[in-house]
Amino acid sequence: MTHLPLWFIPLFPLIGTILLGTIAVVSSGAKKGPSEGLVGTLAVLFPALSFAVVAILACSMPEAGFRETLCNWIDIPLFRADIGFLFDGLSRIMLLFVTGIGSLIAMYSIGYMHGDRGFARFFAYINLFLFSMVVLVLADSLLLTFLGWEGVGLCSYLLIGFWNQDIKNCKAANKAFIVNRVGDIGFLLGMLTLVTIGGSSLLNYDGLAAFINMVIGAGEVVELVLPLSLAGLLFFIGCTGKSAQIPLLTWLPDAMAGPTPVSALIHAATMVTSGVYLLARLSMMFCLLEHVLLIIVFVGMFTALWAAIAGLLQNDIKKVLAYSTISQLGYMFMAAGVCAFDASIFHVFTHAFFKAALFLGAGAVIHSLAGEQDMRRMGGLINKTPVTACVMIFAFLAIVGFPGFAGFWSKDLILERIFVSGPILGPIVYVVGLATAVITAVYMGRLIIMTFFGKYRGDKETEEHIHEAPAVMLFPMVILAFGAIFSGYLWADSIGLTFFRDSMASVVGQAQALYLAANPAAHVNPVIFAALGTLAALGGMYIAWKVFSRARIIGVKGASTVPEGSAASWTFLWDYIHCAFIAVVNILAWFCDVVVEKVLQAIQWTIAAIVEILGDGASILQVRKVRLQLSFSVAGVALLVMLVIFSGGLV
Amino acid sequence: MELQPLYIQILALVIFAIGIIVAVARRNLFFVLMGVELALNAVNLSFVGFAKTLPAEASVTGQIVPLFSIAVAAAEACVGFAMVIMIFRNKESVDADSYSDMKG
Amino acid sequence: MLALVYFIILAVIAVGAALCVLLSRHPLYGALSLVVSMVSLAGIYGLVGSPFLGVVQIMVYAGAIMMLVTFVIMVLNGAKDKRTPMFDGVSFFIIPAVLVLAAMVGFALLRSTMTFDSATVAGSVKVTSETLFNMASTGPGYFLLFEVIGVLLLSAMVAAIFLAKRHLGSVISENTEDKH
Repeated sequence: MTHLPLWFIPLFPLIGTILLGTIAVVSSGAKKGPSEGLVGTLAVLFPALSFAVVAILACSMPEAGFRETLCNWIDIPLFRADIGFLFDGLSRIMLLFVTGIGSLIAMYSIGYMHGDRGFARFFAYINLFLFSMVVLVLADSLLLTFLGWEGVGLCSYLLIGFWNQDIKNCKAANKAFIVNRVGDIGFLLGMLTLVTIGGSSLLNYDGLAAFINMVIGAGEVVELVLPLSLAGLLFFIGCTGKSAQIPLLTWLPDAMAGPTPVSALIHAATMVTSGVYLLARLSMMFCLLEHVLLIIVFVGMFTALWAAIAGLLQNDIKKVLAYSTISQLGYMFMAAGVCAFDASIFHVFTHAFFKAALFLGAGAVIHSLAGEQDMRRMGGLINKTPVTACVMIFAFLAIVGFPGFAGFWSKDLILERIFVSGPILGPIVYVVGLATAVITAVYMGRLIIMTFFGKYRGDKETEEHIHEAPAVMLFPMVILAFGAIFSGYLWADSIGLTFFRDSMASVVGQAQALYLAANPAAHVNPVIFAALGTLAALGGMYIAWKVFSRARIIGVKGASTVPEGSAASWTFLWDYIHCAFIAVVNILAWFCDVVVEKVLQAIQWTIAAIVEILGDGASILQVRKVRLQLSFSVAGVALLVMLVIFSGGLV
Repeated sequence: MELQPLYIQILALVIFAIGIIVAVARRNLFFVLMGVELALNAVNLSFVGFAKTLPAEASVTGQIVPLFSIAVAAAEACVGFAMVIMIFRNKESVDADSYSDMKG
Repeated sequence: MLALVYFIILAVIAVGAALCVLLSRHPLYGALSLVVSMVSLAGIYGLVGSPFLGVVQIMVYAGAIMMLVTFVIMVLNGAKDKRTPMFDGVSFFIIPAVLVLAAMVGFALLRSTMTFDSATVAGSVKVTSETLFNMASTGPGYFLLFEVIGVLLLSAMVAAIFLAKRHLGSVISENTEDKH
C-alpha cells in the first residue's frame, strides 16, 4: 500500500467513542465522575490523530484522488452496494476542517465542560459525531453518506439534549431530530428515484458521474430531465432539513439549548454544511437540472434575507449567531443554485472558521458572565476580556466581508457569480444578496457593540467575577481567529491565488463547465464587486454604530430572551406554518382513531356473529340418541351421493 | 329370460337396505346386531354375484373374499354380544335409547 | 331359465325373512327369521356356482353365529322387556333416508353393464384351496390373510371371555369352581 489506508480516518474517532463510552458507563454509578485529565486527553487525542492522517494523505493525494472499497454491504439481485471510501479534492478539504476544527473544539470543551458530571459522556458523543461526519464526507456512495447523515442527526439530538434534566432541552433535541427526519425522507426518496432511473450503480458517485456522461454523450438529456429533476428536488428537500433552509429551519435556533461547543461544532461548522456538501457531490446531476437550480437559488435567497432580519430581532447572543448561520447557509445555497459549487464550498470553509470562532467566543463570554446569555445585560466587556473580544472582533470583520479577511473573498465571490449567472435574474438576486450583506453587518455590529462596548448593564456581583477564559479555551479560539483572517487567501481571485479552486476543479469542474456552456456568463470586473461588497459592509457597520452605540438598553434580570410582538411573529413564522400542518395531521389522526377504529370493530363483530350463528346451526345436528345420529349420517351419505350423481360425477 | 348378474345385485341391495333399517329403526339391542349381520350377508352376496362376471382364475376371488368376510363377521358377533352382556349388567335393559348420552 | 325360477323363489324367501326380522316382536323370532334368510342366501350361492361358499355359509353363519345369538338372547332373557316400543320417531326418519340411498345406488347399478363371463370357473373346493393356499411369491397372497384371520378369531375369543367375565377373582367365579 503506497498510502495510509483510508479507513484509518474514521477508525480513530470510533475507537475514541468506544473508549470514552465505556469510561462513561463504568463510572456512571460512582458519585464523582472519572478523571478529567484522562478523559480530556483521550477526547482530543483521537480527533487529532484523525487530523494527522488526513493531513498526511492530503499532501500526497494525486489529482484523481484515492479510492478504497472495504467490503460488500448489500448483495441481492435487485441491488448491490459496497462500503467504500473516496478521498478527492472535495472530501480532502471537508475532512481537513472537520477533523481540525473538531480537535480544537474538543480541546475548548475540556475547559468549558469542566466540572460537569457528564464529562465523559459528552466527549463520547463528540467522538461519535466526528466519526459520523467523517463517514458522511468520506463515503463513495449515497448509501454510506446517508449512514453518516443519520449518524450526525442522532449525535445532534444526543448533544442538544445533553443537559437532559431540563425538559426544554429535551424538547429542543426532539424538534431537531424530527425536523431532520422529515428532510431525510427526501434523501431516501431521492436515492430510490435514482435507483429507479438507472439501477443501483447510480448510488455510487463515480457511477453517477459515468451515467450522466453517458446520457450526455448519447444525447438523451431531454428525456431524463424530468425524473432527474424529481430526484434532485427530493435531495434538495433533504438538504433543507439538514442545512436549515426554508421550510425546515425551525430546529436550528432551538438547538442553541445545547452546550456552546456543540453549537460551534455541529450547528456552525460541520453538520449544517452537509447539505451543501451533498449538492457539490451531486454536481454532475444538478448541472443539468435548470428548474431545480432555480428553486435552490430562490430558497437560498429568501432564507438568507429572512434569517438576517430575524437575527436583528433577537436578544440572546447565541440565537443571533444561529440566525446568522442560517443566513450564511442561504448564501451557500445561492451559490450552488448558479452552479458555482466551488464558491459555495469555499464559503463553507471560511464560514467554518469564523462562525466557530464566534461561537467559541460567545461561549467564553457566557462562561465569564457565569451563564448570562441575554445581550441586554452585557456591555463593556472589552476591558475585562480582551482576548475574547479580539477574537470575536476579527471573526466579526470576517463575516461582514471587511477587505482582506476571509469572508471578503468568499462572499464577494458568491455575489459575483450570482450576478453573472443570468441577464435578468442575476442582478435581482444580487441586489437581495447585497441587502442581506448590509443587514448582516448591522446585526453582527449590534452584537459586538452590545456585548463588548458601552457600559456594563448587568448586576454588581456578576461584574466582580468577570474573568478571561482559561488557556485551554483561549488557544483554540485564537487559532480559529487566525483561520478567520487568513483562510480566505486560499482563493483570492483578484490577486491571482486560486489554490482552492484548482483543488476542487477535478471534482466539480466538469459540471460547472457544462453549466457555463449552456448559460454563458458575462465578463465583469471583479474589482467593482469587491468595492460594492466593502461598501455594504462599511455601511452596515456605520448603521449599527449609529443606532446601537448610543441607544438606551435596559436589561431586566431573569427576563425571557424571547422576542415579543411583531418580532415574535417574524421569528416564529415557520413554526406557525408547521403548526398548521400538524393541526391537519391531528385531524386525520383523530379520524383514524375514532371513526376507522369503530368501523373495524363493527366488521370484526359482524364476522364473529356470522360464525357464531353458523356454529349454532351446525350444533343442532349433534343429538343425544345414537340411533338418530346414525340416521343423520346415512341421510348425509344419501345427500352426497345424490349431489355427485346429479352433477354428472359418476356415471 | 336368463338369470342376469343385475338381479343378484338388486337383491343384495334390497337386503342391505333392510338390514340397515333393522339396525337403526329397532330399539331392541339384539335387533341392532342382527341387522348388522343381515347387511354383511348382503355384501357377501354382492361379491359372489360379481365373481361370476369375471373370467377364469379371477372368479375364484368372489369366493375367497366372502370367506374372510364371514370369518370377520363371526369375530365381530362374538365380541359384540360379549359387550351386550357386559352393558346389560349395567342397566338391566335392552333398550338402545337408554345408552344415549352423546350430548351435553 | 330354470336358474331364474330357482333364483326368484330363493330371493322371495330371503327378502321375506328379512322383513320378518324387521317386524318381529320377540328377538327369538327375529333370530329364526334371520336363519331362514341365511339359508336361502346359501342356496343362491350354490345356484350361482360357489358351492363351497354356500356350505361354509350354512356351517358358520347359520350354524355357529346364529347359535351364539340365540344363546345370548335366551341367557339374557330378551323377551322380558315388554316396555320397549318397536318403532319410534327415529325409525320414520331412517326409512326414507335409506330408501333414497338405495335408489341412488340402484340407479348407478342400472346404468352399468354386467354380463356373466363364459369362461368362469365353478368354485369347487379344489380350485378354491389352490388359490387360497398358494404360497408362491407371484401368487395372490391370500395365505397370509388366512393366517391373520386365524389370529383375529383367537383374539376375538379372548376379548369376549375377558369382557363377559365378572370381576376377576370374584365370589361368583370362585363359587362355581367350588361347586364342581
